[in-house]
Amino acid sequence: MSIRKYAMLGAFALASVSLPALSASAEDVTISVWSLDRDIQPAPNLIKDFNKMNTGIKVEYRQIQFDDVVSEAMRAYSTGQAPDIIAVDNPEHALFASRGAFLDLSEMIAKSSVVKPENYFKGPLASVTWDGKYYGIPKATNTIALYYNKDMFKAKGLDPNKPPQTWDELVEAARKLTDPAQNVYGITFSAKANEEGTFQFLPWAQMAGGGYDNINAEGAVKALDVWKTIIDEKLASPDTLTRSQWDATGTFNSGNAAMAISGPWEIDRMLAEAKFDWGVALLPVPEAGAERSSAMGDFNWAVFANTEHPEEAFKVLEYFVSQDDRMFKDFGQLPPRSDIAIPATGEPKKDAALQVFVEQLKYAKPRGPHPAWPKISKAIQDAIQAALTGQMSSKEALDQAAEKIKAVLG
Amino acid sequence: MKRILSSITDGRGFDIGLVSLPLAFLFVLSGLPLVYNVVMSFQEVDMFSLGSFSRPFVGFKNYIDLFAQPETWPILLNTAIFVTASIAGQFLIGFGLALFFWVNFPGASWLRGLFLVSWVMPGLVVGAIWNWILSGDFGVLNFLLRETGVISGNIFWRSDPNYSLWAVIIANIWLGTSFNMILLSVGLSGIPKDLYEAAELDGANAFQRFWTITLPMMRSTIGAIVALGLIFTLQQFDLFAAITSGGPNNTSNVTQYWAWDLSFRQYDFAKGATISVIMIVFVMFASVVYVRSTRHEVRG
Repeated sequence: MSIRKYAMLGAFALASVSLPALSASAEDVTISVWSLDRDIQPAPNLIKDFNKMNTGIKVEYRQIQFDDVVSEAMRAYSTGQAPDIIAVDNPEHALFASRGAFLDLSEMIAKSSVVKPENYFKGPLASVTWDGKYYGIPKATNTIALYYNKDMFKAKGLDPNKPPQTWDELVEAARKLTDPAQNVYGITFSAKANEEGTFQFLPWAQMAGGGYDNINAEGAVKALDVWKTIIDEKLASPDTLTRSQWDATGTFNSGNAAMAISGPWEIDRMLAEAKFDWGVALLPVPEAGAERSSAMGDFNWAVFANTEHPEEAFKVLEYFVSQDDRMFKDFGQLPPRSDIAIPATGEPKKDAALQVFVEQLKYAKPRGPHPAWPKISKAIQDAIQAALTGQMSSKEALDQAAEKIKAVLG
Repeated sequence: MKRILSSITDGRGFDIGLVSLPLAFLFVLSGLPLVYNVVMSFQEVDMFSLGSFSRPFVGFKNYIDLFAQPETWPILLNTAIFVTASIAGQFLIGFGLALFFWVNFPGASWLRGLFLVSWVMPGLVVGAIWNWILSGDFGVLNFLLRETGVISGNIFWRSDPNYSLWAVIIANIWLGTSFNMILLSVGLSGIPKDLYEAAELDGANAFQRFWTITLPMMRSTIGAIVALGLIFTLQQFDLFAAITSGGPNNTSNVTQYWAWDLSFRQYDFAKGATISVIMIVFVMFASVVYVRSTRHEVRG
């Protein structure tokens, strides 16, 4: 009896010693990753490289579509089939973090020698933060700035090396550049009734002292009035209200608009399509010396709370982070970090544009973070559209939005 | 026992077996989701409670909240305008074309077949093309209207609150006309020719023949088409997504697009379900009209 007991104990001791060793060699831990990156984008390539290193962790990748990210993730999480790691759009991060669906990575980040919060831009880092804890790691980032057609500036007697610095200068330049006879609008941007409209408008409100929680601030009203002036005077196409940023910038590339507000994702297409000299400038501010601000886009990495292998998942994320310096060179995306200098590409226009975008990133602010962001965003979009179509004054529209947002914020 | 067996192979049991299969199919794939949708409209649902059935019931709160929103009534009105104008346009043009091809000139059946191309095209493709046609600055429609002198300045079909809903209606009429035409053509060819011969002998003119023979003989076909048209236009989603996204400022928003926007953009699944329930009521009404107008067709 007692012999058998000891034998059992011995076997148990043996097993407990040998099990971890066995599992590392014989059976790899599998970590599943979901993101919307295609084959030329970071996630699948980094995963391929990671799997080649044979660390005992095997990573499986699944590509999901942009429109499905949240609904798919929700469904998977609520039925217990969530992946270990997911890439989620930054304004939607808080939704998951606040409900405990994402794992709090603060402790692991504190111990990590690879992931260091101080290396990140403030905006992206704020978007993964909820309640003072880190629920993710920024994956990439982008922002918006002002593209302008230098040839048109010259033709209309404006200095191509002095793009507009303030809102007044912007409107003034747009007036000079607008030329209906040539089918040229002064400026193009997007006030579409989806997240893009909010993405484009919020920086304007923030520069003037507003924000999503203070959307009817005096400065925000002034910002919307400037937009309204631009639309009413036909300095931008009325279709600005229904056109995406990508389509709007397309009219800039074809020479039908002299300035465009959009992000670094436009650069490669512009190099290929635009048959004129162009430059990029920081977003104009309300008046000289005012606070700068910009929008912040792109995705964050997060680990789902119900993962069975949090340590291994974090190791995978650490590997992704260690490859951040390849983000721009290999994949054309901006790393969300201030400590990585982006090497020159040798294409002067692209390099000049990048410098502006990296500078602009310092002022980028996240949307939210708030778990009910889509509702807040919807209120802002409705206000923009009500004002620009002339159905309400800017003040009335933003007051109504503030009311709706107050109900959401509680 | 033997009686039951033989009834299954040949008799009532066999009939019941045949009927129960599609009924079960319908119940599982249409009935259950419908009931689930109605239940959801009385619950508090967010994305994390999507996976479970035990959610707090909130009574009519979703309905009350919905009708307290300032955009609800305008969107319902838009839906009514969209449905009425689309059906009217599709039906009138479709009927006109059907009568035209009924004359049976050389090549009529070929041309009629070609018209079906618009019906075969996926809604999103149609939407994308109309998006270009309706574009304010470079759209073909504006070009045509301007060159023919109808308008002096460009109309911003998609972005002007006065036109945005009509932009989608125009595209939808184009999309649905051929379907109306084909069904009406079938109805027309079912009218016995001797009726017209007799009327002509009695001295009825073309208008009288149309009014006293064609229209009454087509009554069930027309009822079916209008009912189907109501269902199809209430389903029309792709064109809104492709052309206006319901904007600007909800002036071209309709219930079907709004339900999707609430559920999958704002993750307010309960409100999305609530709107769907309101739509179900209208579709039920259309279904009753459809079933009543086609019940004479089944003979056996």
